[in-house]
Amino acid sequence: MSSLANQPSLIKVDNLSWQVNEKHILDQISFDVKKGEIIGIIGPNGAGKTSLLRCLLNHQNNTTGNVYFKNKKITQYSAKQIAKSFAVVAQKSTPIFALSVFDVVRMGLLPHKGMFTLDSDYDRHQVEISLERVGLSSLMHQQFNVLSGGEQQRVLIARALVQKAEVLFLDEPTNHLDVYYQHQILQLVQSLSITVIMTVHDLNLAGHYCQRLLLLNNGSLVCDNKPNKVLTSEYLTDVFNLTCHRDQDPITKSPRVSFSLNKHNGTDSNADKSTRVTEDINQNIRQDTHQDYKTSGNIS
Amino acid sequence: MRKSSITYLLLALLTLISAALALTFGPAKISSQQIIECIFGTCSTPVNEMIIWQVRIPRVLVGLVAGMGLAIAGAILQNTTRNPLADPYVFGIVSGAALGATIATITLGNQLTVALPLAAFLGALFSVLIVVAISTALRNPEQLLLAGVAVSFMLTAISQFILYLGEPFATNRVLFWLMGSLARVEMSNFYVISVVLFISLLVVTAYHRQIDALLLGDESAKSLGVNVNKLRLLMLAICAAITATVVAYCGGIGFVGLMIPHIVRQFIGVTTLPLIIGSSFVGASFLVWVDVGARSAIESAEVPLGIITSAIGSIFFIAIMLRSKTK
Repeated sequence: MSSLANQPSLIKVDNLSWQVNEKHILDQISFDVKKGEIIGIIGPNGAGKTSLLRCLLNHQNNTTGNVYFKNKKITQYSAKQIAKSFAVVAQKSTPIFALSVFDVVRMGLLPHKGMFTLDSDYDRHQVEISLERVGLSSLMHQQFNVLSGGEQQRVLIARALVQKAEVLFLDEPTNHLDVYYQHQILQLVQSLSITVIMTVHDLNLAGHYCQRLLLLNNGSLVCDNKPNKVLTSEYLTDVFNLTCHRDQDPITKSPRVSFSLNKHNGTDSNADKSTRVTEDINQNIRQDTHQDYKTSGNIS
Repeated sequence: MRKSSITYLLLALLTLISAALALTFGPAKISSQQIIECIFGTCSTPVNEMIIWQVRIPRVLVGLVAGMGLAIAGAILQNTTRNPLADPYVFGIVSGAALGATIATITLGNQLTVALPLAAFLGALFSVLIVVAISTALRNPEQLLLAGVAVSFMLTAISQFILYLGEPFATNRVLFWLMGSLARVEMSNFYVISVVLFISLLVVTAYHRQIDALLLGDESAKSLGVNVNKLRLLMLAICAAITATVVAYCGGIGFVGLMIPHIVRQFIGVTTLPLIIGSSFVGASFLVWVDVGARSAIESAEVPLGIITSAIGSIFFIAIMLRSKTK
């Protein structure tokens, strides 16, 4: 992190706001992103996480404020130029037609190709190398829509590699994935050594894999800092409206949070008996999985 | 040589053989030897020369490009809307053409040789303009299709009302035209359809990667730098131009645009360029053979093409449904 601190900003967000029918979807958000950082955007449903990603990608009109990429306003870049620098791994996609894994990864060539240029042997080699990097070479001719959720995400990451993007955007990359695939995807993202901005629902995963977290609530940026400064009982109790317990993961040493169903204002008389919810269950499974990793070696 | 290149070569060969064999079918008995002589300018009789050059060759050539055009239009519409049921018919293009033809037939009476195709073309463009106007407001591929269906029904209702009020002879003429036929085509029709097809194929080739990007969803395509709405409207306009030109000369020929891309996807692939190339050859061969069937099924009469394509198409779809159920 210290080496990153001296670097100039790759992306700078300055007072970004987006309003629909007088409702603030995003409200005066400012932050910057340095080259090589892995940034997690966290917050409750409707906080504006995906909207913020859309604005950074210049997919949203009628915003105020500015987003700069390499000191130039994002609106001054053409869609093709943006696609050369930014790659997106969206939530689950289910194509109607039987696209092969190769077809999907090949799409990443689009921003770099002229109108009448066909695929060269070099292009095909690029696709093969990218699939090798995500560990899916053997599935190159498999149908994309029969793959598991984790495999589909890895195919989309391979597409981003073919795109040769400088910044990778991921929208809830661990949604619909079991614990093993959650860690597999995020380890893969970490190993790419490029700038990553992702929205994450699972706070413990965000704390473990991101170097910086942006906590959003009702369209506002509540906190922008290192995970151990953002994942605090005070912030999370306030934002999620649940009592938050914070400690340290004994294995990874990352901040670990869990929630109790009782409201933090104390109106629930059964507060002491409240059950630790899904975060706790997830935590147990994570610990088991970590044991598995230790015995099985590198999962990717 | 790649597997795909061999497949294209075989399909091109199939199309050539289909066209050559189709020339041998017709009420006049002309041997293959005589046909070859006529093609190379050494025809034995002027009658044979006239039959080959003014009837059979234009008919086969128009059949080829019409089949090609309808299949390509279907393939483009299906890929750009991500809907396997998309077809020029569903978008109201043929209903618009029918309305144009109806108005021309009722108002112009006997001067229809030029007016009927022209009116059909204008009617098809009119329907596309309405669908485009609605889709611009909706910006949703699923609703684009529904808009097409709604426009199709509306224009059909207007056509039927005009025909109901019109004289029976004019009604018959429009109804027969709507069933589709290659009986009245000329060499000039082939040139016009070919030019439209050539321009359309150039545009589609230029945008094939962008159309492919749409296959994984609009958001995914946007992230790859595609202007989704513009691309979809451009492709709709291309399909309208192809279909309107084909329908104007050949009448209504259903199911080709729906069925052919469906078959081609099974053995060539789903991405745009292979699908378009495969659909061109298979669509061309298919329509040429359907026309041979139309000429040969009943002695001294012709079965309208639209009847045969619709019959084959419906059986084909029932077979597909049954097959997918048993899988």
